[in-house]
Amino acid sequence: MKFNLEELQKKIMPVATSFSNNKYLGSIMEGLTSLMPVILVGAIATLLKNLPISAYQSFVTSSRVGNYLSVLINFTTDIISLLAVFLVATNISKKFDVDSPAAGLFGIISFLILTPLASIEKDGSVTNYISFEWLGATGLFVAILLGIFVGRLYAYLVQKGLVIKMPEGVPPTITKSFAGLIPGFIISALVLVIKLIFDNTAYGSIHKVIYTFIQTPLQGLGGTIWAFILVMFVAHLLWLVGLHGMLVAISVMMPIWMALDLKNLEAFNAGLSMQNVPGFAFLMCYTLLGGSGATLGLNLLMMFKAKSQRFKTLGKLAIAAGICGINEPIIFGTPIILNPLMAIPFILTPIVLSVIAYVATAIGIVPPLMGAMMPLGTPIIVSGILQGSWRIAALQVVLVLVSALIYYPFFKIADNNAYEEEVKPASERE
Amino acid sequence: MKRILLVCGAGMSTSLLVTKMQKAAKERGIEVEIAATSGESIDKEIENVDVLLLGPQIRYKEDEFKKKYGDKFPIEVIDPMDYGMMNGEKVLDFALKLIGEK
Repeated sequence: MKFNLEELQKKIMPVATSFSNNKYLGSIMEGLTSLMPVILVGAIATLLKNLPISAYQSFVTSSRVGNYLSVLINFTTDIISLLAVFLVATNISKKFDVDSPAAGLFGIISFLILTPLASIEKDGSVTNYISFEWLGATGLFVAILLGIFVGRLYAYLVQKGLVIKMPEGVPPTITKSFAGLIPGFIISALVLVIKLIFDNTAYGSIHKVIYTFIQTPLQGLGGTIWAFILVMFVAHLLWLVGLHGMLVAISVMMPIWMALDLKNLEAFNAGLSMQNVPGFAFLMCYTLLGGSGATLGLNLLMMFKAKSQRFKTLGKLAIAAGICGINEPIIFGTPIILNPLMAIPFILTPIVLSVIAYVATAIGIVPPLMGAMMPLGTPIIVSGILQGSWRIAALQVVLVLVSALIYYPFFKIADNNAYEEEVKPASERE
Repeated sequence: MKRILLVCGAGMSTSLLVTKMQKAAKERGIEVEIAATSGESIDKEIENVDVLLLGPQIRYKEDEFKKKYGDKFPIEVIDPMDYGMMNGEKVLDFALKLIGEK
């Protein structure tokens, strides 16, 4: 069996490598991950504005604190796609060796060009304005696709040498600012043509087309518990052969997960009902308690139930990181990788926890997650409360106990083996 | 001074190992600089590195890094068991040995 796993590792490695080294997926993931502080600020403002305490609520309304919090939400969560297009375009251009903020800037410009203006008529004069309609989560897929397109094209044009060359002696800063000129013209012209095409369809804008035919179906598919379980299964299988499977999974699923989470955040703020969807927030909040494999339960078993010195030490060593969702010590120290015994609970636990959390949400024991994106390393319970309710944090604690329960029989076998190894006189060891 | 750089997915679990290695180096009175970084920001940290060690979870990056920096300094993956047990002593030995071989 061990042999087989190693064979598997050799076969899987190239696939995982091509995924995680893919420049496009990498740029999307890095771009979206950079949005995390913004989303978190927006989420906390949303939470502060909507705390369900009536005395607090009347204070928020009467003092107009709520209005100011709304402004903050408007310019974080509600413009997330505008920020995403900048980051994706900048990142992709950088991956193709053209490091210039111009790629990101033309990303923003292109996004705005393709976003239909709204207008308001007052006293006979018409004022145009940019509506928030497509700037938030609804426009995320357009932002990603456009970011890739503009960033890649910019890098391509610059490398093709389509830049204005300056004679020697001109300061580099000036050369740099002129460098973006021709690519900028070409990109803007192309985007205008795209706008012209979509203006003449029945849909009226690229946003509506992408949202209707790509984002909505993908969200529908990716937002089911079945898709989530499948992704978790593959990700943990990759871990078993020693690769960071979760990184691979996240790089593929992030756009869908994030769009789903942001939808909930918007709904929460608007006081609308939220969807019970397993997205990125769900992953971090319920599935990966203690990291990949939901190993926090196993970690606690090691601390409190281990007979062997080895696991006792490992348990203590790993617990602080484990509470924050980092578990490489457990994964490599137990070890879980290339270990057929631990493979079973390692794959099973995160899936069982996800199903429990999903059902608990569906029948209303806990509210759906608000969809706040947590920084890596946010400790359990804190991460639960930041999703909108203490009940979520309570469920996390229950899930850790479930995790311990599933790991228990397997832990026992591993611990006994380690213990026997330790008490065996040195002469009998191999 | 010798500089050892460790890299993993987000630079979090390696930073724990770095602390252990620094302790081991201090106890032995070895003057060495040890740092952790994430795969993404490695380019900024690469100056004056004497050896680069990869966390076992990103061993699939080994080829990429070797192609990029292989001619500048040794690049190896940390033994998974030593990594898991956060064995600062052994990883430090490993790193020093690699520097010695250069």
